[in-house]
Amino acid sequence: MSAIRLTILTGTRQTVLRRIDMGFLDRRDLLAGTAALFGAELVAPLAKALAAEMPAGFSPSHAALTVDQRILVSAISERIIPTTDTPGANAAGVPAFIEMMLADWYEPTDRNEFMNGLGVLEGYARIQYGTAFASAAPEEQDLVLTQAMTGKISGLAGNFFEHCRQLTIMGYYTSEIGCKQERVYVPVPGRYDGKYPYAQVKRVFSS
Amino acid sequence: MATYDFDAIVIGSGISGGWAAKELCEKGMKVLMLDRGRMVEHRKDYITEGKGPWQLPYRGNLPPAEVERDYIMAKWGGANLTAQTHYYNNDRLNPIDFENSKPFRWVRPNQVGGKSLIWGRVALRWSKIDFEANKRDGHGSPWPVTYDEIAPWYSYVEKYAGIAGSKEGLPQLPDGEYQPPHPMNVAETWVKERLERAIPGRKLISTRTANMTEDKPEQGRARCQSRSMCARGCSFGAYFSTQSVTLPAARKTNNLTLLSDKVVTNLEYDPKTKRVTGVRVVDANTMQAHVYTSRIVFLCASTLASTQILLNSRLPGSERSFADSSGLLGHYIMDHSFRTSFWGTVPDAELSPYIAYGRRPNGVYIPRFRNLDGQDADADFVRGYGMQGAAGRSPAGAVGFGKAMKEGLRQYGPWEIRFNAFAECLPYEDNTLTLNPAKLDRFGVPLAVFNVTFRENEMRMMRDAALQGEAMMRAAGLVGVGSVNEEHVPGDAIHEMGGACMGADPRKSVVNRWSQAHDAPNLFITDGAQMASTACVNPSMTFMAFTARAADHAVKLVKAGTI
Repeated sequence: MSAIRLTILTGTRQTVLRRIDMGFLDRRDLLAGTAALFGAELVAPLAKALAAEMPAGFSPSHAALTVDQRILVSAISERIIPTTDTPGANAAGVPAFIEMMLADWYEPTDRNEFMNGLGVLEGYARIQYGTAFASAAPEEQDLVLTQAMTGKISGLAGNFFEHCRQLTIMGYYTSEIGCKQERVYVPVPGRYDGKYPYAQVKRVFSS
Repeated sequence: MATYDFDAIVIGSGISGGWAAKELCEKGMKVLMLDRGRMVEHRKDYITEGKGPWQLPYRGNLPPAEVERDYIMAKWGGANLTAQTHYYNNDRLNPIDFENSKPFRWVRPNQVGGKSLIWGRVALRWSKIDFEANKRDGHGSPWPVTYDEIAPWYSYVEKYAGIAGSKEGLPQLPDGEYQPPHPMNVAETWVKERLERAIPGRKLISTRTANMTEDKPEQGRARCQSRSMCARGCSFGAYFSTQSVTLPAARKTNNLTLLSDKVVTNLEYDPKTKRVTGVRVVDANTMQAHVYTSRIVFLCASTLASTQILLNSRLPGSERSFADSSGLLGHYIMDHSFRTSFWGTVPDAELSPYIAYGRRPNGVYIPRFRNLDGQDADADFVRGYGMQGAAGRSPAGAVGFGKAMKEGLRQYGPWEIRFNAFAECLPYEDNTLTLNPAKLDRFGVPLAVFNVTFRENEMRMMRDAALQGEAMMRAAGLVGVGSVNEEHVPGDAIHEMGGACMGADPRKSVVNRWSQAHDAPNLFITDGAQMASTACVNPSMTFMAFTARAADHAVKLVKAGTI
């Protein structure tokens, strides 16, 4: 998903990029032009459709990662929650979730700490394997993450791995795939059974 | 003969206001109900209902910077959750006088229906012990009503609202009119059996709750579907709210006019006739002021908002409220203290094959057991506390990463049980809500200043609750037992009461035994502001009962031509 595509979805915050998407027309100009062309009766539904812009909190309001960092975050999260008999972190949209959290949820200090960690981890992978983390073999990626988890990468903040893991877990288990395919989603249970055999699901019910 | 816009004006549309509107409309009164918040229609406006986490902004959690900017108090009630942020007051736009207040958390709603949409739904009766407490130990002013007088009104509101609970025959927690209780889970049953055997007289029961276990087709309401999304609004109408219960009943009479976005600034008063003559509002959108008139007024704006409105309703040419001839308006502000919790883990491997299916809307309750028959010899405090909790299993913690971690997260951790103690707060005359005339909000109302603190009696109770709680957990055979006493900030329990307390003596109270203002017989204050003590149980059912009773009495007085 390109940065410009993301800003189309998120509306108000990125005025500059949205203006690019709309060919330098702002919304009012567009409506006024449409009204002139088609008459008032078409304006109401169009205005309603345009007003229903994506609220904040679903995708990054602005790019928080470079293209390379985005690839790195995808690779890390997919190793933390890989594709198994159910889809992994990438299929569940975890990288976009992490970018949204970095762009719109994190405090600047936490965000900077995370960005620094990405740089240190990437540098370590390049020294160890002569390649970007994302291009390393899965076993090599797992070795790097294990070093990160056990505090053996010099210069890497002690909580960086935990940051990555928690963001990935949160993004995955709150995604539609995480809720419906990895866990068991029952939106309207209809009853409460406080002595239900785990053996019947062998999974966790999503909340 | 005076003419009025309406027979009655009800200020506020929450738990109390909704009941006032329903009762007055059903008795033939033409009623105007006002709310400061925006309109929320049943079903149609529950915009987050039924949504999965991926369909909620920020997957459910508002960014901390936004929480701190706009919901500094409301976050304690859950405004930080994006599934329900829209139901809370914006504390930046509608603040209190933070600078001059002691720490206080006024968690306010932002819509028609008030806190009835977002309440915890615990539906308990006060007991004889509670109504006699002030008289017994000399704190606050004695209640001028008895449990026996209120009991039929509890029955009346319980039957209509739909309360689920078990009958237990406990004097300190009287039984009511109940649908079958919500079931306990296997761990709660395990703890109950062992606790009640180990400590004779101690009880662990399914929490009585305003979530139905049986349908009410005549009200268009279905029983709880175990979604546990109550605070987003429930289209099944399974829990009591204004939208699902009292508003439809009031509308059915065609006697109701409901106006949202109307901020009541003050009541107008005629000292000659000793009557409230008008209700002044400012429209929250247009900022236009208007005065509505009626024969009687029910003030149900919430404990603190009602008190604020009364304080801002001054006698002509005076700084003094017309309702304050006792000098006690705004005094005796109370809340429960509840940030004491304790927990334990069920060690029994026999329970590990079981999990919970569905998400229950309630938990379990340990009724008060302290100072029931006079003063316990080992208690260094008066009155008591109850305990609300639940047992559950969380998903197992994450270990490592990759396939093994993912598969590990398909398991559950052990059954754990956790409780919070809710303690009665004594009525202290110098726990006050006052107004700061030097600081006005955007509607021209002086900001509220809170000087409310918990004292030694409350702190002793909280310490005792932690000790007793841990002892109970151990007696039941739980392991990993612990407890914590966090900071207790008034307002936090959202059980605020007092400010316009009830009493027989007009020199020592603001309303009489019928919730009727001593200083204005056509004014009834039927929300939490009238409470002369807090008991230790959740107060909403008591607000409902008092409101229905006051409405009945008010209409009798109107018909008799007395007011």
